[in-house]
Amino acid sequence: MMTAQWLYGITGCLIVALGLRTALLHTLLLQRVIGINIMGAGVFLVLIAVAYRGPGEAPDPVPQALVLTGIVVAVSATALALALARRLAAEPDNG
Amino acid sequence: MADMLIWLVATPLVGALVTLVLPRQATALVNLTAVATTAIAFTLLYQVEKQGALDYEIGGWTAGLGIALRADGLSAMLLIMTALVVTAASVYASAYFRQLSERARFWPLWLLLWSSLNALLLSGDLFNIYVTLELLGLSAVALTSLGGKTAALQAALRYLQVGLLGSMLFLAGVSLIYAGYGTLDLSTLASMVVPGPVAWMALALMTAGLLLKTALFPLHFWLPPAHGSAPAPVSAVLSALVVKAAFYLVLRLWLDVFADLVTPAASNILGILGGGAILWGSWRALRAERLKLLAAYSTVAQLGYLFLFFPVLQALPPGSARDSALGGLVILALTHGFAKAGLFLAIGIIQQRAGHDRIRELDGTAQRLPATTFAIALGGVALIGLPPSGAFLGKWQLISAAFATGQWLWVLIVVAGSLLAAAYMFRVLGHAFGNQAYPQRAVTVAREEWPALILTGIAVIGLGLAGAPVWQLMGSNA
Amino acid sequence: MNTTAVLVFDILLVLSLLSLAVATLATRDAHRSVILFMAFGLVLALAWGRLMAPDVALAEAAIGAGLSGALLLAAVREQPRQTLTADTNAVHSGNDAGLKVILQSVATLLCVGLAATLSWALAHALQSAPSNALAQAVQENLATSGVSNPVTAVLLNFRAYDTLLELAVLLTAILGIFALGPARPGYRSAGPVFDSLAHWLVPVLILTAGYLLWVGAQAPGGAFQAGAILAAAGVVLQLSGQRTLGLPQERTLHIVIAAGVGMFLLVGLSLLFLGRPFLGYPPAWASALILLIETAAMLAIAATLALAFLGGRPQSPRLNATGEKPAALSTGTLRAAMHPVRSGTDADTNSGYRNSSNEQKQ
Repeated sequence: MMTAQWLYGITGCLIVALGLRTALLHTLLLQRVIGINIMGAGVFLVLIAVAYRGPGEAPDPVPQALVLTGIVVAVSATALALALARRLAAEPDNG
Repeated sequence: MADMLIWLVATPLVGALVTLVLPRQATALVNLTAVATTAIAFTLLYQVEKQGALDYEIGGWTAGLGIALRADGLSAMLLIMTALVVTAASVYASAYFRQLSERARFWPLWLLLWSSLNALLLSGDLFNIYVTLELLGLSAVALTSLGGKTAALQAALRYLQVGLLGSMLFLAGVSLIYAGYGTLDLSTLASMVVPGPVAWMALALMTAGLLLKTALFPLHFWLPPAHGSAPAPVSAVLSALVVKAAFYLVLRLWLDVFADLVTPAASNILGILGGGAILWGSWRALRAERLKLLAAYSTVAQLGYLFLFFPVLQALPPGSARDSALGGLVILALTHGFAKAGLFLAIGIIQQRAGHDRIRELDGTAQRLPATTFAIALGGVALIGLPPSGAFLGKWQLISAAFATGQWLWVLIVVAGSLLAAAYMFRVLGHAFGNQAYPQRAVTVAREEWPALILTGIAVIGLGLAGAPVWQLMGSNA
Repeated sequence: MNTTAVLVFDILLVLSLLSLAVATLATRDAHRSVILFMAFGLVLALAWGRLMAPDVALAEAAIGAGLSGALLLAAVREQPRQTLTADTNAVHSGNDAGLKVILQSVATLLCVGLAATLSWALAHALQSAPSNALAQAVQENLATSGVSNPVTAVLLNFRAYDTLLELAVLLTAILGIFALGPARPGYRSAGPVFDSLAHWLVPVLILTAGYLLWVGAQAPGGAFQAGAILAAAGVVLQLSGQRTLGLPQERTLHIVIAAGVGMFLLVGLSLLFLGRPFLGYPPAWASALILLIETAAMLAIAATLALAFLGGRPQSPRLNATGEKPAALSTGTLRAAMHPVRSGTDADTNSGYRNSSNEQKQ
């Protein structure tokens, strides 16, 4: 088990927990959306850390592909959430 | 032959793209897609019954390197339910949405939802399941927000946040699995899993995410607003299929992939939460002011029954008793799907005609809309669990298995839940009958009422009287 | 390589990530948190580079930090500071202050517990040196996959079905956004400095996108990164006052956003009719088919992300695809509500990109 894997992996776990706390507690929608994105970043860190094989060897491409997919999915969801919020704010009784 | 699996996903997807590009011909295209996909689903069921589970490796790459699709008895039956419910709701929706512009927005998202359901039920790869969960969540949220009422928008936004949270937890579990086992394929994983911190934590994370998505008490708070303010066909599919998909995944993980890990304590947790869902959901349904909220809380309660099966199945040793109980679980899930979908469609008819769905003011609905009221009554029979509905068979299995393993608490909860369900359904029917004369016509809007009648009819009569194949197909769960 | 230096770098990078995450999530000001989030994304891209994941680094910088940040900034911009939406209740809303404190403590404990158990499980997993089977399988089959970049091979060949569904996710999101209402009102035409920058920047971005698409087969790059860069070109155009970003209208637009999924299905189902497995490319044709799919995907991704930034359909036509006026949306209300609400009391000084009401088309 390499130091880099361990270091980035544990960081990923911490970041997941940080994102979760914000997603659960914060009152602003924007902050909760950012919190979920940061949770995602933490999970991606875990995946890429697992993929890392050291400076000499080629890394495992499968988790990297998974993270790429995950990034696109996250931005799609973020876009929809923000559009929903914008539409809600425009409603006559809220705007 | 196994090509059918990918066609089940591809057909609605093609339909979605074509309806997007050709909105004027959309209704005809949707009908075509629905018929085609339903036909493929039935062919699949027939195949699975004859020769057992079907596997398909996409791209020809071996499972692991590539993604495998898998269909066994359980997923085939759920696919049939999905196809029939979506087809019926599509017929309903073509009349429900009066304007072309509304329909043009609706159909592509609707067919994307269908293809995501099929993709989820057939997937044999953990990360692929995550992607299908996201597709399912986003399309469901987008459909919920159609129509633009403030309540629907707020509910959709909450639904989206909860859904994203659930998916993220699920993905965290998947990443642990890959870290620990180096594979994402379900069947490979099933043979490799050993009890240990990695597997426990991964299962816990994935289950937590899925419980959020299946709205198990106490994580159910998002469901009543969402299902209660979505357009009627969307509510039908949300309650009948979307939450079931997440439940199907819990079932797959707990009984199939991670079967060695599950302890009686863990199953009891699920059982207790299920019991809470039954009691709390039924109580809130009884107190509901609006029909749609009643139906939504009823979904929360009915899902509780499904979770009660977990401790019971855990306590039974492998054998015919366990197989019977498992079949009971499946038939209960199927019955609820059909019944709840039909119920929501019927409620939608009332809401459109009367302009509201308040229960206290339903006076005379039975006379004005007899077919609709009959559909509600049939749905109620299935929700309460009266014979001959499939739910009766399912609850019977649950109770007898609970007796056999000495778990009396579940029996009490099932009985209490059924009584409460009877109370809230009879309350609705009681308000529906007024003092007016009976009409000449039974069916007022055919395209809306027939789907509701057919769905609830399947729940009560179809699954009840012809329910035996369910156990046969579960037996072919290779 | 000097391992101590690398270790110091790693520790600094990890600390930056953690402190940026904490700062982003702790701040109460929405605007500030968005900027910090973008910074977090960029440092994360550095981390991906460090961990030898250049494809992911490109995508993170372009999509994760860049486009997500642009979306969030556009969202913050239209709302008064501090409140973003009507649904400002937290997921667990408690009116009682004491209840709030209890909920906060429970949630914090839960998250601390999660961090601990997750780390413990991960450490356990890393210790037992999991099988390298998948990475080896990719290596072995790379020669017949049609590309030499292993990540592209996984994305577009071995696990192409995931990519197909992911493109469907993008499509679903943009259709959902379309259904919610018309696009944001545009920005006013840019001043000479930004205008000339845009004149220079947009073609460079388009060229870069084309390059990334082409080179993705052998080196880091590919459809997603290229699509994101192309979308960035669209964002620049929008910021400089160009309302429709050169995007086609109505039916053609629908074809473009559906192109990614559509090409995948076309190729996959054709192969099925030819007797091969779904998306099972014949080795001789693999690189051509992958490039074909990637091109369509790039266009779809670019259009979708640019439209997401726009917030809806581009404005010009009054009639939608079916020739009807959009009826159910009360667009008058929506558009009226989109005007900046506080005229004159605004603290924003970023006048170059501000809404101006005389830009509204009626």
